[in-house]
Amino acid sequence: MKPFRARGDQLVARLDRAEAGIVGLLLDQLEQLLAADATDVADDPVLERLFPPGHRVDREIAQDFREMTEESLRSGKADDLATVRATLPADGGEIRLDPDQAGAWLRTSNDLRLALGTRLDIGEDTGPPEEIVDETDHQLAVYYWLTAVQGSLVDALVAARAGRR
Amino acid sequence: MAPTWTPESTVEEHSDLDRPWVTIVWNDPVNLMTYVTFVLQELFGYDEAKATELMLQVHHEGRAIVSSGPRERMEHDTSRLHAYGLWASYQKDS
Repeated sequence: MKPFRARGDQLVARLDRAEAGIVGLLLDQLEQLLAADATDVADDPVLERLFPPGHRVDREIAQDFREMTEESLRSGKADDLATVRATLPADGGEIRLDPDQAGAWLRTSNDLRLALGTRLDIGEDTGPPEEIVDETDHQLAVYYWLTAVQGSLVDALVAARAGRR
Repeated sequence: MAPTWTPESTVEEHSDLDRPWVTIVWNDPVNLMTYVTFVLQELFGYDEAKATELMLQVHHEGRAIVSSGPRERMEHDTSRLHAYGLWASYQKDS
């Protein structure tokens, strides 16, 4: 991976084939979760994190908020995901994003990290695996790799914004 | 941004109608500090110093009020924060 960098208004990075494949698989999983029948994924902790309660005490307010906002939140995530898929070089290569596309990558990469982080029960003390022995180590490594990708995109967007001033 | 979050209703509900509503961002072990700062700047137009201060408050104190005003606007702010994956909720100010 070559991290994101600002080139004028564009955000540019490079993924190798295996990395692009991993992102593609994670997008598939997120897409399936977002499209799943509500009864099949009731109480899924990832969905609870991606669609958090709007009010922490009053269940009625939280329910009203959910009904009011869930559809647009879900369709926004689906649109972002579609943008990431369309700009992801399937066999690896350069990613070149305009500011709107970069926003989609920012939000979707965060959703992917939230999904992985929730499944892996990430805490402040969690760190990258020292060696990869089992599937959990592998997923942790993917999580921290995604963290680096997203971190570089945030830094590049901050740099691009500073450059416009 | 912190190790754990203990569920608790830290803010009491009152029925006074004249108090404003607030939007709160809660601590979260996944969201990057730089990302939270960036999002607060994007959504609320805060300068870097203000956004960083709020992010650090979330990080160290577990939560921060990021906006206040009429209920409808707080609902809107909360939904915009959810679109960016921040752990946000709204309530009447305590």
